[in-house]
Amino acid sequence: MTDMVRTGFRPSRIAIYGVLLLACLVYLIPLIVMLITSFKTPMDIRSGNLLAMPTDWTTIGWTKAWSEACTGVQCEGVKGYFWNSFKMTVPAVMISTLLGAFNGYVLSKWKFKGSDLLFGMLLFGCFVPFQVVLLPMAATLGKLGMANTTAGLVLVHVIYGVAFTTLFFRNYYVAIPDALVKAARLDGAGFFTIFFRILLPMSTPIFMVSLIWQFTQIWNDFLFGVVFASGDSQPITVALNNLVNTSTGVKEYNVDMAAAMIAALPTLVVYIVAGKYFIRGLTAGSVKG
Amino acid sequence: MEHTQRRPAGVARASSGLMDGLQRWLPKLVVAPTFLLVGIGIYGYMLWTGVLSFTNSSFLPSYNFVGLEQYAKLMESERWIVASWNLAIFGGLFIGICLLIGVVLAIFLDQRIRQEGAIRTIYLYPMALSMIVTGTVWRWILNPRLGLEKLMHDWGWTSFSFDWLVNSDFAIYTIVMAAVWQASGFVMALFLAGLRGVDSSIIRAARVDGASLPVIYWKIILPSLRPVFFSSVMVLAHIAIKSFDLVMAMTAGGPGYSTDLPAVFMYAHTFTRGQMGLGSASAMLMLGAILALLVPYLYSELREKRHD
Amino acid sequence: MSQLELRDIRKTYPGALDETLKGINIDIASGEFLTLVGPSGCGKSTLMNSIAGLESITGGSIVVEGKDISTMEPKDRDIAMVFQSYALYPTMSVRENIAFGLKIRGMPKDEIQQEVERVADLLQISALLDKKPARLSGGQQQRVAMGRALARRPKIYLFDEPLSNLDAKLRVEMRTEIKKLHQRLKTTIVYVTHDQIEAMTLADRIAVLKDGELQQLGTPKEVYDTPENLFVAGFMGSPSMSFINVTVEQAGPGLVVNIEGSDGRKLALPVPDYLQGWAGKQVVLGIRPEHISQPDEQKRDSQMVAESRFTVEVTEPTGPDILAVIRLNNVDVQCRLDAEHPVNWGEEAELMFDMRKVVFFDPDSEKRIRP
Ligand SMILES: Nc1ncnc2c1ncn2[C@@H]1O[C@H](COP(=O)(O)OP(=O)(O)OP(=O)(O)O)[C@@H](O)[C@H]1O
Ligand SMILES: [Mg+2]
Repeated sequence: MTDMVRTGFRPSRIAIYGVLLLACLVYLIPLIVMLITSFKTPMDIRSGNLLAMPTDWTTIGWTKAWSEACTGVQCEGVKGYFWNSFKMTVPAVMISTLLGAFNGYVLSKWKFKGSDLLFGMLLFGCFVPFQVVLLPMAATLGKLGMANTTAGLVLVHVIYGVAFTTLFFRNYYVAIPDALVKAARLDGAGFFTIFFRILLPMSTPIFMVSLIWQFTQIWNDFLFGVVFASGDSQPITVALNNLVNTSTGVKEYNVDMAAAMIAALPTLVVYIVAGKYFIRGLTAGSVKG
Repeated sequence: MEHTQRRPAGVARASSGLMDGLQRWLPKLVVAPTFLLVGIGIYGYMLWTGVLSFTNSSFLPSYNFVGLEQYAKLMESERWIVASWNLAIFGGLFIGICLLIGVVLAIFLDQRIRQEGAIRTIYLYPMALSMIVTGTVWRWILNPRLGLEKLMHDWGWTSFSFDWLVNSDFAIYTIVMAAVWQASGFVMALFLAGLRGVDSSIIRAARVDGASLPVIYWKIILPSLRPVFFSSVMVLAHIAIKSFDLVMAMTAGGPGYSTDLPAVFMYAHTFTRGQMGLGSASAMLMLGAILALLVPYLYSELREKRHD
Repeated sequence: MSQLELRDIRKTYPGALDETLKGINIDIASGEFLTLVGPSGCGKSTLMNSIAGLESITGGSIVVEGKDISTMEPKDRDIAMVFQSYALYPTMSVRENIAFGLKIRGMPKDEIQQEVERVADLLQISALLDKKPARLSGGQQQRVAMGRALARRPKIYLFDEPLSNLDAKLRVEMRTEIKKLHQRLKTTIVYVTHDQIEAMTLADRIAVLKDGELQQLGTPKEVYDTPENLFVAGFMGSPSMSFINVTVEQAGPGLVVNIEGSDGRKLALPVPDYLQGWAGKQVVLGIRPEHISQPDEQKRDSQMVAESRFTVEVTEPTGPDILAVIRLNNVDVQCRLDAEHPVNWGEEAELMFDMRKVVFFDPDSEKRIRP
């Protein structure tokens, strides 16, 4: 596709580069604004403008956001919620990915009567708006004594994440020749041996995709957090929203931005370190089936 | 025969029937938890919500059936109508602008651009952010006094005024802005992948026939990206219908309820205003909207598969 | 006792409308090399998978050394299979690939080591043992796939088009090697192939399959010289047999059939006496290219030859000889001509029909008319 345009500095190419760079700026500016605002003093914010550099750089916004800012009635910063998010995200990502891997394995290599039905159920489940399950889920969690607990959130994220992870793995394993499984069965390998000794060693890329996709999804989730958690068990996104919307005292935008940065950092780091897999997950997640 | 008789020692030939039976059941056992979780957690609950939408549940679920009353109430609710209109405006603009920006950027990026990888990384990073973060930042950027307005004033455009965020007629458009910022890079990535998949010999043939580059893109390449187009629309529509986080972070539905979306409406009525029946009815209508999009999409997808 | 008996094997895939295998009966003797041929989709792979236990059968039974194994798990059947795609485990080295089955069966380490080396020696892949499959050439992968099967010393080997991913030259080499290996190890082999020559050269017996039904089972010579029906006749041999509709006529004491060239020239071909009952009726004459050639002095003495001049429509030099097409009774008929006496298309050539090995078919039942 790309070989049809000869490189050279014709005006059209300058225009193309111009547009692309302008777009870069547009995409970057919010991040830049967020960063420089977080290092400003409240004074600075009022006297300068969005893109003005801080007159004196200060981390006060960050320390306040981390340990002092009010998120509702409490004023202990977002640190507790930040760890909450980790406590919720890590197990949920692990469990949903593992389940997805096994499901994908069965749905591609050990099909049985009804396995296509299950696959269809999962495929459709990816599209269902979560609003239709919130209320019964809240009731169930209450009955199970898991309302407002991290364990409850983990369960919720596993249930609504497993459809995606299953699709990832199923589509990946479908592309692996069935003959491999047949050969292994003749070699005497059983269900788990084939999975752990043959397929698993080939699955690193799709594991990365699934782990990263699930990590960003679950870390960034707000809906489940705000509905199923309260107070001490809330994830960072809910805390950030509370912090920004807390109307007591003077609005401190540097603290808001620092808190937003704190909430954004884990997924940004993952994106920068393993962006390749993130993009693959996005495209795979969008062209399911 | 001498070959087969000299069977290596130590090769156990265990074939206990029990183990084999278990092996046969293993695949089903392994997917059973998922089947259960998804069966209840998605399909069971969907039904449950459906049932609740026919009751007059308020703060707690009750099972006094009132028929379609909640749906009727919904249709008469000024707030629901605003929310639905907002979704139409938001969804239409969001999808349209994202597609436009995504396609243009993808085509431009496909012209042997130096540092393409870096540029792509920049376009896509917003997708890695929580919508709450996006909302927080954009809320600050669009701050009527200290945000964009002040920037323009400082840069010498003193008459510039921008108060959309707090203007109930325009607030919904600020949400479109933030959402486009977040998702357009993703559409770009989808289309770029699609462009990379187009057979380059078709383009060479068209060039030999004397077609110009814009004509080739418009007449040959873009039409061949129809599937990408459809799946982009699907994903964007899906994001739009479920959009909740962004509104909560930017305006919380305000001013008044001018930026309510169905998802916000559903949350507010179900969990804070104690009108579970009404909330459930609104959730069911959201599901209906998704189905209306999904069914034709899946149908055409499956039909295409069969044609292959 | 036969090593492997297939008794009325039937298979219907779940949800499929038609039976894929419609009652296959084959007895395979110990040490026999059986090739299975048939058009694409006729059920060859299905049959192989069924024998291996990878697909369950819906009827009949599979008996190995007198024991019914139809319901056994694949791992307990003591059968090894070599796949068209080789199916080597990509993350394991060649050594691990060969050792995998032995390890799972709990063989001690030192014995595995020995066995791997024996197999590697046998197939001349000792130098490759520590490489990953992706780094091997197609031929080397093929050897490893065979090595993996050999290492387990199973009772029966199944090969499902093992050579079809190789280029022509390599295919011939490997074919010879498989033949040698079989002669040396005297193993029982069922071998699926698309390749006529592979089927003919390797097999003790050939089974021809069509639409899930066994058409003929016999030695290569039987299948080639006395095909049971039109399908087998047309399927076996390359270039294939030509079929001409003719009417059997009485001519003096003997029987003849008349053919007519594109220029209207007629020729009466002598046919054997067993067609007596068909006098005055239509039959299909099946004639192979090598039965029509330039006149041969030695054959002239035979009663069963005829000669005439025919116009050559197309010529295809193959090297050792020339394939020429003539038109008889409005169908194209191929003949095999001597490359030493080239003929150009459009020219006439004196051709001799050797009727000793031609076959005749009943046009209605499509079965061969037996002597
Ligand atoms: N898993 C399956 N489910 C349903 N039908 C199948 C399945 N596998 C094969 N078939 C059908 O069974 C028939 C026989 O297939 P099979 O693979 O045995 O053919 P084959 O003779 O090996 O062909 P080829 O020479 O192309 O390998 C085909 O019509 C095929 O469509
Ligand atoms: Mg096959």
